[in-house]
Order: sequence, then structure tokens, then C-alpha cells
Amino acid sequence: MWKLFKYLKPYWWQVVILVLATVAQVYTTLQLPALMAQIINDGIVPGNMDYIWSMGLIMLGLTALSAVAAFLSSFLSARVGAYFSRDLRAEIFAKIINAGVSDLKEFSTASLITRTTNDVNQIQMVITMLLSMMIRSPLFCIIALVMAIQTAPEMSWIIAVGVTAIICSVVLIMALVIPKFKVFQTIVDRITLITRENLTGLRVIRAFNNEKLEKKKFEKTNDELTKLLIFIDRILELQNPLIGIIFNGATLLCSWVGISLLHQDFSYLGNMSAFAQYVTFVMMSFLMMSMLFVMLPRANVSAERIREVLDLNFKIHWRGETYGVPSKSASVEFKNVDFCYPGAAEKVLSNVSFVAEAGKTTAFIGSTGSGKSTLINLVPRFYEATDGEILINGVSVKDYEKDDLISRIGFVPQHGILFSGSVESNIMFGAPNASKADVIRAAEIAQAKDFVEKLPQKYNSRIAQGGTNVSGGQKQRLSIARAICKKPDIFIFDDAFSALDMKTDAKLRAALKPITENAVVLVVAQRVSTIKDAEQIVVLDNGRVAGKGCHLDLLNKCPVYQSIVKSQLSDDEYAHELKLANKFAEKGAK
Amino acid sequence: MDRHGSTTAGKAKDIKFALKQFLKSIKPWRFMILLSVILAIGSAILALFIPKILGDMTNIAVNTYPEIDFGSIGRKVVVVVILFLASALLNYGQAFILAVVSAKYTEHLRSEIIDKISRLPISYFDKHKYGDTLSRMTNDVDVLTTSMSQEIADISLSITTLIGVMIIMLSISVPLSLISFVAIPLSVLAVGKITKFAQKYFREQQNTLGALNSEIEEDYSGQIVIKSNSYERTAVASFGAVNQKLAKAAERAQIFSSLSFPVTHIFTNLAYVAICILGGKFVIDGVINIGDIQAFIQYVSRFNRPITEVAATTATIQSLLAASERIFEFLAEPEEEPDTEKSLTIPDVKGEVEFHNVCFSYNKKQPVIKNFSATIKPGMKVAIVGPTGAGKTTIINLLMRFYEPDSGFITIDGEPIREMKRADVRRLFGMVLQDTWLFSGTVEENLRYGNQSASYNDIVQAAKSSNVNHVIEALPKTYKSMISEDSDNISAGEKQLITIARAMVADPPMMILDEATSNVDTRTEQLIQDSFEKLTHGRTSFVIAHRLSTIRNSDLILVMRDGAIVEQGNHDELLATGGFYAELYNSQFAEN
Repeated sequence: MWKLFKYLKPYWWQVVILVLATVAQVYTTLQLPALMAQIINDGIVPGNMDYIWSMGLIMLGLTALSAVAAFLSSFLSARVGAYFSRDLRAEIFAKIINAGVSDLKEFSTASLITRTTNDVNQIQMVITMLLSMMIRSPLFCIIALVMAIQTAPEMSWIIAVGVTAIICSVVLIMALVIPKFKVFQTIVDRITLITRENLTGLRVIRAFNNEKLEKKKFEKTNDELTKLLIFIDRILELQNPLIGIIFNGATLLCSWVGISLLHQDFSYLGNMSAFAQYVTFVMMSFLMMSMLFVMLPRANVSAERIREVLDLNFKIHWRGETYGVPSKSASVEFKNVDFCYPGAAEKVLSNVSFVAEAGKTTAFIGSTGSGKSTLINLVPRFYEATDGEILINGVSVKDYEKDDLISRIGFVPQHGILFSGSVESNIMFGAPNASKADVIRAAEIAQAKDFVEKLPQKYNSRIAQGGTNVSGGQKQRLSIARAICKKPDIFIFDDAFSALDMKTDAKLRAALKPITENAVVLVVAQRVSTIKDAEQIVVLDNGRVAGKGCHLDLLNKCPVYQSIVKSQLSDDEYAHELKLANKFAEKGAK
Repeated sequence: MDRHGSTTAGKAKDIKFALKQFLKSIKPWRFMILLSVILAIGSAILALFIPKILGDMTNIAVNTYPEIDFGSIGRKVVVVVILFLASALLNYGQAFILAVVSAKYTEHLRSEIIDKISRLPISYFDKHKYGDTLSRMTNDVDVLTTSMSQEIADISLSITTLIGVMIIMLSISVPLSLISFVAIPLSVLAVGKITKFAQKYFREQQNTLGALNSEIEEDYSGQIVIKSNSYERTAVASFGAVNQKLAKAAERAQIFSSLSFPVTHIFTNLAYVAICILGGKFVIDGVINIGDIQAFIQYVSRFNRPITEVAATTATIQSLLAASERIFEFLAEPEEEPDTEKSLTIPDVKGEVEFHNVCFSYNKKQPVIKNFSATIKPGMKVAIVGPTGAGKTTIINLLMRFYEPDSGFITIDGEPIREMKRADVRRLFGMVLQDTWLFSGTVEENLRYGNQSASYNDIVQAAKSSNVNHVIEALPKTYKSMISEDSDNISAGEKQLITIARAMVADPPMMILDEATSNVDTRTEQLIQDSFEKLTHGRTSFVIAHRLSTIRNSDLILVMRDGAIVEQGNHDELLATGGFYAELYNSQFAEN
């Protein structure tokens, strides 16, 4: 938490003014009881009306001053809080956006969002409070203490008694309640879990007629929660009455002691009520400070979560400029590449080697967990190979400047992700300088032209956040158009065709042919039919290359490929494919 | 669950509905609440007399000076002690009662909601997000009950104090009271004006915050696209602009809201000074005593707090009503039609299913199933095929009575299922869906889910024939291991095997299966296929089919497209007609 305070630095002079204003406000507020005591002692008792008037005017002046100071301090604390959180948020955002895909693997998107929004808000709230209360309360406390002792030194022991009582009661209650809060949270989580299960498992619960069973489970937890809640409240609600007793008791003590001191000095008549007010101020500020100590741990959790992001060390370091001269013709080459997620025992990829050439399609197939998605993520350096080398146009990915590498790659992720804006802005996402003609051509190749031109505003039509106003297939086609518009050397399709129906899939692949004559195409697929025509198929099994070759070639010699094809085709068809493969092998032999 | 973003509780659209429903639901606790209000009032009244008596003590001291009458002052001290102890006791009593009421009320609401979930038709949840219902159960119930107990205590305490203080102040001195009463409406008025002005800027701040949040959400979830298009700089710049706008808006909103405290401060202090001056004059003139001024000043400070508190309650009441509306709106959703009174039961099910001219639509506009008739003989295998999103689950929804046909009817062994209890219909089917839902509990509890009376042996037997026994045995605590929907100690394929075993334990006469097995490796896929085979053997079964072998071996194929059944027949018949099925078949499986 305290480390985040460095973001206050640019606003140091505002904080200084804030402190000064707070001092002024506290001082003026605390002068009022003293002035009132003077009015009683030197004005009312001797019957001096002029004195009363002049003191009254001084009080008015002080009030005006205190109002200005109060405005300044509360405005400045809020303002500094707002700008502080702006800076913090900007820093977190930049950190996350610039982090590599591998750096953020351990965070879920939802948690990153919470860290940038809710957690920052939490911190902002606490900072604003700290700036106002954390400065005001101790000041109040000290000045009130000094003035109390000045007005009635013989009564100062009352302060000690009052403050001790306040601290004891707060500590006692917190000590009893805080351990229960943890239990409370786990039960609340369980309630949420059961409710969530009831919602997600709706069909299963009804299919098995288990509504009553679920209800029983819920009722048990619900009952537990209610009992605990009542227990906690029983203690927590003690706080208000206890504090009431302490405050009233202190005031009574002041009056009693003050009256008994009248013999020594009649000025105790005015002083005792001023003193009573000071005592109240002191106890109040202690109460405020104790509340801060309850709030701080909660903010600390947020601060910790934010620092986890800010302290991220990027795993991948990029060169400032590309080292070496990439060749003009596109190619992707893997040389004995290993990959292992940090901390994981097993390799996701081991000893993977292949060459993908321009004008040819290289496809990757294998069961889930075989490492095919991981493999293509190594090409744009989303992850770093643990061992081995990856060459793009003859130059290692590690020797590229980041934007230089990325500009050569058109990456189409598994799920069509669009950004709010227009159709055009989405297609031009990776090619900000593309012409209108480029955009239309990209849409045409991606089989998106037809539906885009049916939209009311065509290429200027709005895309809602998350692309929710276009269908899944349309999203995927636009996301393919986005890659095409970049005119990259290397196309990567991460299972991008699965959201398309067969006809569109085939048309799109046909349209892609002419523009990929000089480009490398890497395709990850589940369906054999999608990749059958690929010039090269790399079969992955548990992170190893189980076979390399064309469809018919692999059918002859690669058992893993055979079993994949077999699982997708009927026995007859499989036999037919095998026959073709045999013919192919014979031809090869000749 | 989607909970980030909206931090504002919002306002209720129909205040009357929200309030009426809330009052109705809290009715069982009305006497408890009334009691706590009475205690609160009592506590406030007792506390009110304390400054007055303290003032009396000063008066006695001054009047009897220098021979101070400590005897009578002592008696006053005792009275004050009794007063504040009694007041504290009553205060605790009211708080405690309210705490119990609010805890019980929360329990009641939660249990109403969970009940409602089980009574709502499935269609409700197909149209509404889970997160929405979940947040009604958690956030809204929380807001409603906490603001309720807070408000009841606050309002009754505040109003009592306000009235009591006014009476006592008037009894001490009418002119002094009038001065303080004038200051209050003035400060309330000023604050009201300021707040109204500030609201515009607060709205601006709220809107900008919304824009900022959605930009964050969008950029974070599209990270891979940003990375693969070198879009980082643009994203940071665009975020910076919104972020700056937010800070500016917050600053402007703060200027106004920071004004309200000093303004009230000035007004109350003005009154304070005026009381000192005028009070001093009255004492000199002998109209009132010094002790009265001291008491009066204490009352003035007690007078201010309830006013600011009552002003703050409007915001709390607004969020209370908004929460109440969301809860009771949900509780008022139309429920599933109740089961018929005289319900049919089929003692020994053979498994003949007939569709008689069934018509169905989800939204009354687009007919999904038009006049569909089919007879499925006992033991037949029905395959439902079609591209993704063609609505293959519709048939299942109708069979399980998750939805009811618009017209026409379905019979099992000749008996219309509409005349049966839903539970009795559902008992006839075992269901294995693609969405492998398991609840958090042990493996054994999950397997027993469809048949609570199954023995441990039955369960192990089912697991063995579903090829999942070895997986379970490999878990640290075997059948007693904890699993849940999102547990990662078992794979997606293994979860599917467990759901198959679960259906086997239930041992129903008919089966409904979804073959789609994405995210499953080839070996597990074969195990699943094998278990499906065993599960459907000898049972009438409906399969959402993805495998050609299944489709070919089916006795009846229902072909779906765009949500409707477009063709039906067996494989050879359908191929011969050369329709959509033939097209689908050729594109997916056959040679070019």
C-alpha cells in the first residue's frame, strides 16, 4: 500500500496546501469552544455586552476562514485522489497492454479488469480518506488535547480515561468479530456457488428431478449463514451503545469535576463546557482513526493485487531494431523447438522441426493438448521457445524488432474478436494506412463483402462492443478480413475456419489461394476435410511431431494420422481413402 | 458472471410496485420492527434529557455558589447515569432486534429466490443471463436488507431526536430556538441547490467511468488481436484520453460536492455565534440561566446530525427500492404451468415415443417445428443432425418437457406426456449432454445424483462400464474425491464419462445423448463412444449425432436446419432424396 504513495509525488504542492488548509480548519473549529468559554467567563458573568459582541464577531470571522479551509481541504483531497487514480490506472493499463501473452497467462481477463477498475477505485477511496481524515484526525486530536489541557489542566485525566475506554471497546469488538468475518465470507461464497450450480445445472437438476435435494443443500447453508450473521451482529451492535455510554460518561465527568473545582476558580464555569467539547473532539478523532485501521487492510488487498501487475517482469525482451536482414521471400522454420510452460513439469512441445515455404499451406493437426495451438503462438513470439530456434524469413524471431515481426504476420485467432467501432475500422485494425479499395478487397476474399454491403451503412456500420451485433460466423469472417488487409508474409489461422459452414470455408480457401502465392500459410484444424489439400501436414502427438507430409502420404505411414482420420470417417469411407493412399504410394514408388 | 462495470445501483422504474412488494414481504416481521422502532424512540428520548440535566447541574452550582449544593447535584448525576445507561440498553435492544429481523429476512428472500429458480420455466434462463439472476440473489438481497435495517434505525432515531430536541430547545428559550431553526432550512436549501448542480457533473463522471470500463474490458479480452496487430500504442493513447476525461469530470464534480460541507458549516456556525451573543444578552438581562445556554449549545449540535442523516436517506432509499424492484420482479416472473391433478403414470415403460402433429416456436413468430409427426418404436435409435446452431436441442426440450409444444402432442407408450407429472416424464429419460455439469461434491455423490438409493457397488459397476473407473481410482481419494464443474483434476472427456456413468446409475428406460465431444483426445473419444454404445443398447434413444457411424446405424434421422426439422428418414432414404441431408453429408464426409 505505502509503495503506491509514490504516485502522489507529482501533486506534492497540492498536498502541502491541503495540509495547511486542514490545520487552519482544525484550528479555527477548535477555537470556537474557547471563545465561548471566554464569552461566558468574561462576558456573561460580569455582564459585559460589548465584550460579547466583539467576541461574537471574532467567532464569525473564524467561521468564514474555517469554511474556506474546509472547502480547500475536501476539494483538494478529492482532486488529488482523482488524479492519483488516473495515473495509477494509466500505468496498470499500459503495463497490461504491453505485457506479452505469456506474461498474463496466470491472470484471468476478469481479474485484470477488476485490478484496473475496482481495485484502483478502492485505493482512490482510501487515498481520499487518508488525505482528509488521516491528516485531520490526528491534528484534531493533538490541537484539541493541547487546548483542553490549557483550559482546564486539572481535568486532563478525564481525556485519558475516555480515550482508553474508546480504544478498549473498539479493540475488543474487532477482536471478537474479525475472525468470524473470514468464516462468514466462506459461507457467502458457498451460497453463491450453490446458486450458480443451480443455474448452470438447471437442465440436469430437472432431468434428475433433484430440485428438492438442491433446495435442502441450499437451506442448510442458508441457515448456517443466518446464524453466523446474527452472532456477528450481536457483537457488532454493541459498538454504538458502548460509545454512547463513553461519550455521555465523559461529558458527565467534566460537569461533575468542573463544578467541584468552582471553589478554586470560578472560571471553571465556562471552561468545563469548553473542556467537555474538547474531550468529545479527542475521542471522536480516536474513533475515526480506529476506523481507518479497519479499512486499511481491505485497501491493502487491492494494493497487493495492483502491485502484482505492476511488478510483472516481462519474460520476452525485444530488440530495438531488427538484427540481420530478413530475406524477401517468406518462410517459417522451426529447428528442434521445445516449449514448456513455466513451472510445468511436462513439455508441451519437444523437438519440433519443420519448414513452411511461401505459396504453400502447412497444416497442424492432433488431438487437444497435442500442442498445435501453442506451436503457432510461438511464431509471433506470444510465447518464447524454451529451446531450439524459430526463423522467420531466415532471421530468428529473437532478432526482430517487435513491430517489424508483427507487421509480417496476419494472425487469426480461434474466436472472432472484434472491437467497437465500424466494420472498416475493424478491418483496418492492423493496417491503419490501408485504402478503401484494400478494405473492400479484404472483405471480398474473406467472404464478408456480401453481408457487409447488405448492412445499412455498409463499411461504416457500427460494430458494438464485443461484436455482439454480428453473428459468430460474420465475426470470424471480419477477423479474417482484418488479417488479409495487413498483406502479411505469413498467415496464421488458429482453427479459424471451424465457425464457418463448409461452403463458405471452401470458397474462402479458394479465394485465399491467389493472394497467398508469395506467403506462408499456417493452419491449425480439427477437421481432416479442412486440411486435406494442404501441401504439408504436421501431425502432432503429445507435443512431438508424429508425421509430416501430405494427406495421402500420411495415411500410408503415420498411425496417429490414420486414427484421427478413422475417427472422423465411416469405415467405408476410410477404406476408400486408404485405397487412394495406396495408389499414391505406388505412383510414388514408380 | 458479469459483475464488473455497473457500480451504480440505479433507480427503480416502478416505485409503487417496488415499495408495495417490499412492504408485503416484510409483513411477518412487522411486530418485531415496530418493537425496535419503539425501543429506538425510547432510547432517543432518554438521551435527550441528558444535556438538560447537565445544564441543571450547572444552574444549581451557580445559584448555590459559594455553598454549592453537592447533595442535589449528586442526585442529578445519578439520574444522568441511569438515563444514558438505559438509553444505551434500549439502543442495543433495537439494534439487536433489527439484526435478527434482517438476517431472517435475508434468509427468507434467498430461499424464495432459490425456490423460484426451480419453478421458473427453462425458457426464462435461456433468455436471461445467469449472472443477472445470481446478482439478484447476492447483491440485491444484500442491498435491500442492509439498507432496510439501517434506514429503520436511522429514520426513527433521527426523527425522534429532531422532534425531541425541538421541544426541549423551545422549552429553554423560544427566541434562541427560532434562530437555530432558521439556520437549518437555509443550509438544507443551499445544499440542495449545490447537489442539483453537482449532479450533472456526477452523471458525466459516471458515464465516462462506464466508457472507461468498457474500453478496459474490450482491450483486455482482445489482447491477442492487439498484440498481433501492433496496436498497443494506439490502445494506450485512446485509453489515456478517456482516463483524462474521467479525471477532469471527477474534478468538476468534486468542486461542487466539496462546497456543501463548508456551506452547512457556515450556516450552523452562524447560528452558534448568534446563540452565544443573544444568549449572553439574555443571561445578562436575567431571562435565562448560564446552564441553559450550555445545554442549548449541546442541543444545537445534536440538532444538525439528524438533518444531514435524513438528507442522506433519500439516496439509500433509492437503492433500496431499486434492489427491491429487481428481487420482486424476479419473484413475480410467470412460473411453469403446474402439473395436472390426475396424473398418468406408466407402470412398465416399453419406450414407444410418438410425435403427433407437433408445432413449436420459441418466440411465436418463427415456427421452429411445423406439424412434425413420427413414431419411434421401442429400442429405436433416433439421430438428430444438422449444422451448429440449427436448434438440435429443441426436440430434447420438448421430450423432457422443458418446453411445451404450441400445438400437437407427444406420447410415450400411447400416453400423452402432457397428462403426466413433469418429474415422471423426466424420470423416463437419462440425459448426457455436451455441457458436462457436475456439482461440487464427491465423485460418489455426483454419480448417485440420479438415483439416491444406488449402492456403492452399483456406482462402481456403472463407472466400470463407462470406462471411467480407472480414472476415478487414480484420484487421490478415489470415489470420495471432491470434484466440481470447473475442477481441473479431471479432463473434459473424463467429466463426460462421469456423466455417462451417472446416467447408468439412474438406469432409465430411455436415453438422450449429445455426441459432441470437443476438447477430447482421440483415446478418450473412443472410450466415450464405447460407453455411449452400452448406454443406448436396448433403450429407445435420441442422439444429437456428430459421428457418421452413429448416424448411419440410426433407425430414424431428423435433419435440422435454421431451427427447424427439414427432413426425416433413414440414411439411405435421405441420401436418395438429394436434399439438405445429402448436401450436408457430402460436404462433411464424402469426396469432393
